[in-house]
Amino acid sequence: MKNANIDILPLAAVALTLVLIMMVVSPLVVTRNSTPVILPETHTSERKVENDLTVSYTVDGQLLVDDKPVFTLPELESTLQVQLLRDPYVLVVIRADKECLHSHVLDILAAARHAGALRIACATKKYREG
Amino acid sequence: MRRHPVEPRRDELILTSLVDIALCLVLGFLVAMPLFFETGIFVSAPGVARASGGDPGTDVKANIFLTDDGRILLNESEVSIEQLSDLLPKLLDRSRERRVVVATDDQVVYDRVMKVLDLAKQSGAADLALLRKRRAP
Repeated sequence: MKNANIDILPLAAVALTLVLIMMVVSPLVVTRNSTPVILPETHTSERKVENDLTVSYTVDGQLLVDDKPVFTLPELESTLQVQLLRDPYVLVVIRADKECLHSHVLDILAAARHAGALRIACATKKYREG
Repeated sequence: MRRHPVEPRRDELILTSLVDIALCLVLGFLVAMPLFFETGIFVSAPGVARASGGDPGTDVKANIFLTDDGRILLNESEVSIEQLSDLLPKLLDRSRERRVVVATDDQVVYDRVMKVLDLAKQSGAADLALLRKRRAP
Protein backbone atom coordinates (compact mmCIF):
# COMPACT_ATOMS: atom_id res chain seq x y z
CA MET A 1 0.00 0.00 0.00
CA LYS A 2 1.28 3.43 -0.94
CA ASN A 3 2.34 5.59 2.00
CA ALA A 4 0.26 8.83 1.86
CA ASN A 5 2.48 10.91 4.14
CA ILE A 6 3.30 14.48 3.12
CA ASP A 7 6.93 14.79 2.29
CA ILE A 8 8.05 17.69 4.47
CA LEU A 9 11.74 17.36 3.78
CA PRO A 10 11.74 20.02 0.98
CA LEU A 11 9.69 22.32 3.23
CA ALA A 12 12.25 21.92 5.99
CA ALA A 13 15.04 22.60 3.53
CA VAL A 14 13.34 25.75 2.25
CA ALA A 15 12.59 27.03 5.76
CA LEU A 16 16.13 26.43 6.97
CA THR A 17 17.55 28.06 3.84
CA LEU A 18 15.37 31.11 4.52
CA VAL A 19 16.65 31.24 8.09
CA LEU A 20 20.23 31.03 6.87
CA ILE A 21 19.71 33.74 4.24
CA MET A 22 18.13 36.05 6.81
CA MET A 23 20.91 35.41 9.32
CA VAL A 24 23.52 36.28 6.72
CA VAL A 25 21.74 39.24 5.15
CA SER A 26 20.34 40.99 8.23
CA PRO A 27 23.70 42.04 9.74
CA LEU A 28 24.73 43.39 6.35
CA VAL A 29 21.54 45.41 6.12
CA VAL A 30 21.69 46.65 9.67
CA THR A 31 25.38 47.56 9.65
CA ARG A 32 25.55 49.04 6.20
CA ASN A 33 26.73 52.14 8.00
CA SER A 34 28.97 50.72 10.62
CA THR A 35 29.94 53.99 12.30
CA PRO A 36 28.87 53.61 15.91
CA VAL A 37 26.34 56.32 16.60
CA ILE A 38 23.65 56.37 19.27
CA LEU A 39 20.63 57.64 17.41
CA PRO A 40 17.79 59.54 19.03
CA GLU A 41 14.73 57.40 19.65
CA THR A 42 11.40 58.56 18.29
CA HIS A 43 7.85 57.22 18.22
CA THR A 44 7.16 58.34 14.68
CA SER A 45 9.26 57.39 11.72
CA GLU A 46 9.31 57.46 7.98
CA ARG A 47 11.19 54.37 7.05
CA LYS A 48 13.79 54.69 4.38
CA VAL A 49 13.66 51.97 1.78
CA GLU A 50 16.06 53.34 -0.75
CA ASN A 51 19.71 53.82 -1.44
CA ASP A 52 20.85 56.88 0.35
CA LEU A 53 23.85 58.98 1.08
CA THR A 54 24.64 58.76 4.76
CA VAL A 55 26.45 61.41 6.71
CA SER A 56 27.44 60.16 10.16
CA TYR A 57 28.42 62.50 12.96
CA THR A 58 29.82 60.87 16.07
CA VAL A 59 29.75 62.20 19.60
CA ASP A 60 33.50 62.98 19.38
CA GLY A 61 32.95 65.14 16.33
CA GLN A 62 34.02 62.71 13.61
CA LEU A 63 32.31 63.28 10.29
CA LEU A 64 31.88 60.45 7.76
CA VAL A 65 30.15 60.12 4.41
CA ASP A 66 29.13 56.49 3.86
CA ASP A 67 31.70 55.49 6.49
CA LYS A 68 34.53 57.34 4.77
CA PRO A 69 35.91 60.10 6.98
CA VAL A 70 35.82 63.71 5.91
CA PHE A 71 37.55 66.28 8.03
CA THR A 72 35.97 69.64 7.33
CA LEU A 73 32.58 70.95 6.36
CA PRO A 74 33.82 72.24 2.95
CA GLU A 75 35.22 68.77 2.30
CA LEU A 76 31.86 67.28 3.25
CA GLU A 77 30.15 69.68 0.91
CA SER A 78 32.38 68.83 -2.05
CA THR A 79 32.04 65.07 -1.36
CA LEU A 80 28.27 65.38 -1.30
CA GLN A 81 28.32 67.56 -4.38
CA VAL A 82 30.09 64.86 -6.40
CA GLN A 83 27.51 62.26 -5.31
CA LEU A 84 24.56 64.59 -5.83
CA LEU A 85 25.66 65.41 -9.37
CA ARG A 86 24.98 61.78 -10.25
CA ASP A 87 21.54 61.79 -8.65
CA PRO A 88 20.23 65.06 -7.22
CA TYR A 89 17.19 63.33 -5.72
CA VAL A 90 19.17 60.92 -3.59
CA LEU A 91 18.11 60.98 0.04
CA VAL A 92 20.78 62.43 2.32
CA VAL A 93 20.49 60.86 5.77
CA ILE A 94 22.12 62.55 8.73
CA ARG A 95 23.10 59.98 11.36
CA ALA A 96 24.06 62.22 14.23
CA ASP A 97 24.72 61.01 17.75
CA LYS A 98 21.94 62.08 20.10
CA GLU A 99 24.43 63.63 22.52
CA CYS A 100 26.00 66.02 20.01
CA LEU A 101 25.05 69.67 19.74
CA HIS A 102 22.18 70.55 17.47
CA SER A 103 24.06 73.56 16.13
CA HIS A 104 26.69 71.17 14.72
CA VAL A 105 23.95 69.14 13.04
CA LEU A 106 22.60 72.37 11.57
CA ASP A 107 26.05 73.03 10.08
CA ILE A 108 25.94 69.60 8.44
CA LEU A 109 22.40 70.21 7.19
CA ALA A 110 23.48 73.55 5.77
CA ALA A 111 26.46 71.94 4.04
CA ALA A 112 24.17 69.29 2.54
CA ARG A 113 21.82 71.96 1.34
CA HIS A 114 24.66 73.98 -0.21
CA ALA A 115 25.85 70.82 -1.93
CA GLY A 116 22.45 70.63 -3.60
CA ALA A 117 20.62 68.04 -1.49
CA LEU A 118 16.91 68.19 -2.16
CA ARG A 119 15.82 65.50 0.26
CA ILE A 120 17.23 65.33 3.76
CA ALA A 121 16.27 63.07 6.66
CA CYS A 122 17.54 62.68 10.20
CA ALA A 123 18.13 59.05 11.14
CA THR A 124 16.37 57.85 14.25
CA LYS A 125 15.70 54.61 16.03
CA LYS A 126 12.22 53.36 16.76
CA TYR A 127 11.43 54.01 20.40
CA ARG A 128 11.07 50.86 22.44
CA GLU A 129 9.72 50.64 25.96
CA GLY A 130 12.18 49.62 28.63
CA MET B 1 -6.43 -15.88 18.75
CA ARG B 2 -4.35 -14.43 15.98
CA ARG B 3 -1.74 -11.92 16.98
CA HIS B 4 -1.18 -8.85 14.88
CA PRO B 5 2.27 -8.81 13.43
CA VAL B 6 4.42 -6.13 15.03
CA GLU B 7 5.33 -3.48 12.47
CA PRO B 8 9.02 -2.98 12.09
CA ARG B 9 10.15 0.33 13.52
CA ARG B 10 11.02 2.77 10.77
CA ASP B 11 14.24 4.69 11.22
CA GLU B 12 12.95 8.01 9.92
CA LEU B 13 13.81 11.48 11.04
CA ILE B 14 10.90 13.27 12.67
CA LEU B 15 11.08 16.52 10.78
CA THR B 16 7.84 18.10 11.90
CA SER B 17 9.32 19.73 15.00
CA LEU B 18 12.33 20.89 13.00
CA VAL B 19 10.07 22.54 10.44
CA ASP B 20 8.10 24.16 13.26
CA ILE B 21 11.25 25.62 14.76
CA ALA B 22 12.55 26.80 11.40
CA LEU B 23 9.27 28.49 10.49
CA CYS B 24 9.11 30.10 13.94
CA LEU B 25 12.62 31.43 13.37
CA VAL B 26 11.58 32.83 9.97
CA LEU B 27 8.55 34.51 11.56
CA GLY B 28 10.69 35.83 14.42
CA PHE B 29 13.13 37.34 11.95
CA LEU B 30 10.34 38.89 9.90
CA VAL B 31 8.83 40.49 12.99
CA ALA B 32 12.13 41.61 14.51
CA MET B 33 13.78 42.99 11.38
CA PRO B 34 11.89 46.32 11.27
CA LEU B 35 12.90 46.96 14.88
CA PHE B 36 16.57 46.74 13.97
CA PHE B 37 16.24 49.02 10.98
CA GLU B 38 17.13 52.62 11.36
CA THR B 39 14.29 54.90 10.52
CA GLY B 40 14.26 58.60 9.91
CA ILE B 41 12.38 61.86 9.99
CA PHE B 42 12.39 64.04 6.92
CA VAL B 43 13.36 67.62 7.60
CA SER B 44 13.86 70.82 5.71
CA ALA B 45 17.42 72.03 5.93
CA PRO B 46 18.14 75.38 7.56
CA GLY B 47 17.11 78.28 5.46
CA VAL B 48 15.37 76.22 2.78
CA ALA B 49 12.83 78.36 1.01
CA ARG B 50 9.85 76.39 -0.17
CA ALA B 51 7.36 77.26 -2.82
CA SER B 52 4.03 77.48 -1.09
CA GLY B 53 0.53 77.75 -2.44
CA GLY B 54 -0.74 80.06 0.22
CA ASP B 55 0.34 83.29 1.69
CA PRO B 56 2.56 82.37 4.62
CA GLY B 57 1.59 85.55 6.36
CA THR B 58 -1.99 84.46 6.95
CA ASP B 59 -1.42 80.85 7.92
CA VAL B 60 -1.37 79.79 11.56
CA LYS B 61 2.24 79.42 12.58
CA ALA B 62 3.87 76.86 14.83
CA ASN B 63 7.26 78.22 15.70
CA ILE B 64 9.07 76.39 18.45
CA PHE B 65 12.18 77.72 20.08
CA LEU B 66 14.33 75.66 22.44
CA THR B 67 16.57 77.56 24.80
CA ASP B 68 19.86 76.53 26.40
CA ASP B 69 18.28 76.53 29.86
CA GLY B 70 15.65 73.92 28.89
CA ARG B 71 12.70 76.18 28.20
CA ILE B 72 10.37 75.71 25.24
CA LEU B 73 8.77 78.67 23.52
CA LEU B 74 5.77 78.07 21.29
CA ASN B 75 5.10 81.18 19.22
CA GLU B 76 7.07 83.21 21.78
CA SER B 77 5.06 81.88 24.75
CA GLU B 78 6.76 79.63 27.25
CA VAL B 79 5.19 76.18 27.51
CA SER B 80 6.05 72.89 29.16
CA ILE B 81 6.52 69.73 27.08
CA GLU B 82 3.08 68.51 28.26
CA GLN B 83 1.46 71.79 27.24
CA LEU B 84 3.26 71.60 23.91
CA SER B 85 1.89 68.13 23.20
CA ASP B 86 -1.55 69.44 24.08
CA LEU B 87 -1.40 72.73 22.15
CA LEU B 88 0.45 71.66 19.02
CA PRO B 89 -2.30 69.39 17.57
CA LYS B 90 -4.86 72.17 18.11
CA LEU B 91 -2.58 74.67 16.44
CA LEU B 92 -1.83 72.40 13.49
CA ASP B 93 -5.52 71.64 13.00
CA ARG B 94 -5.99 75.31 12.18
CA SER B 95 -2.93 75.50 9.95
CA ARG B 96 -3.13 75.04 6.20
CA GLU B 97 0.49 74.05 5.65
CA ARG B 98 0.81 72.13 8.93
CA ARG B 99 4.39 73.26 9.12
CA VAL B 100 6.42 73.30 12.29
CA VAL B 101 9.55 75.42 12.45
CA VAL B 102 12.06 74.56 15.15
CA ALA B 103 14.87 76.89 16.09
CA THR B 104 17.29 76.53 18.98
CA ASP B 105 19.99 78.20 20.97
CA ASP B 106 23.58 77.18 20.22
CA GLN B 107 24.10 74.75 23.10
CA VAL B 108 20.95 72.67 22.73
CA VAL B 109 21.55 68.92 22.48
CA TYR B 110 20.39 67.20 19.29
CA ASP B 111 18.33 64.59 21.17
CA ARG B 112 16.13 67.31 22.65
CA VAL B 113 15.41 68.74 19.20
CA MET B 114 14.55 65.30 17.86
CA LYS B 115 12.14 64.73 20.75
CA VAL B 116 10.34 67.94 19.79
CA LEU B 117 10.33 66.98 16.09
CA ASP B 118 8.91 63.60 17.09
CA LEU B 119 6.21 65.31 19.11
CA ALA B 120 5.42 67.58 16.16
CA LYS B 121 5.09 64.55 13.87
CA GLN B 122 2.80 62.86 16.37
CA SER B 123 0.73 66.04 16.51
CA GLY B 124 0.18 65.91 12.76
CA ALA B 125 2.90 68.14 11.32
CA ALA B 126 3.30 67.68 7.58
CA ASP B 127 6.53 69.59 7.25
CA LEU B 128 9.34 70.04 9.72
CA ALA B 129 11.83 72.82 9.23
CA LEU B 130 14.97 73.43 11.22
CA LEU B 131 16.07 77.02 11.40
CA ARG B 132 19.29 78.56 12.44
CA LYS B 133 17.64 81.45 14.10
CA ARG B 134 18.44 83.54 17.09
CA ARG B 135 15.65 84.54 19.35
CA ALA B 136 14.95 88.23 19.45
CA PRO B 137 16.34 89.64 22.71
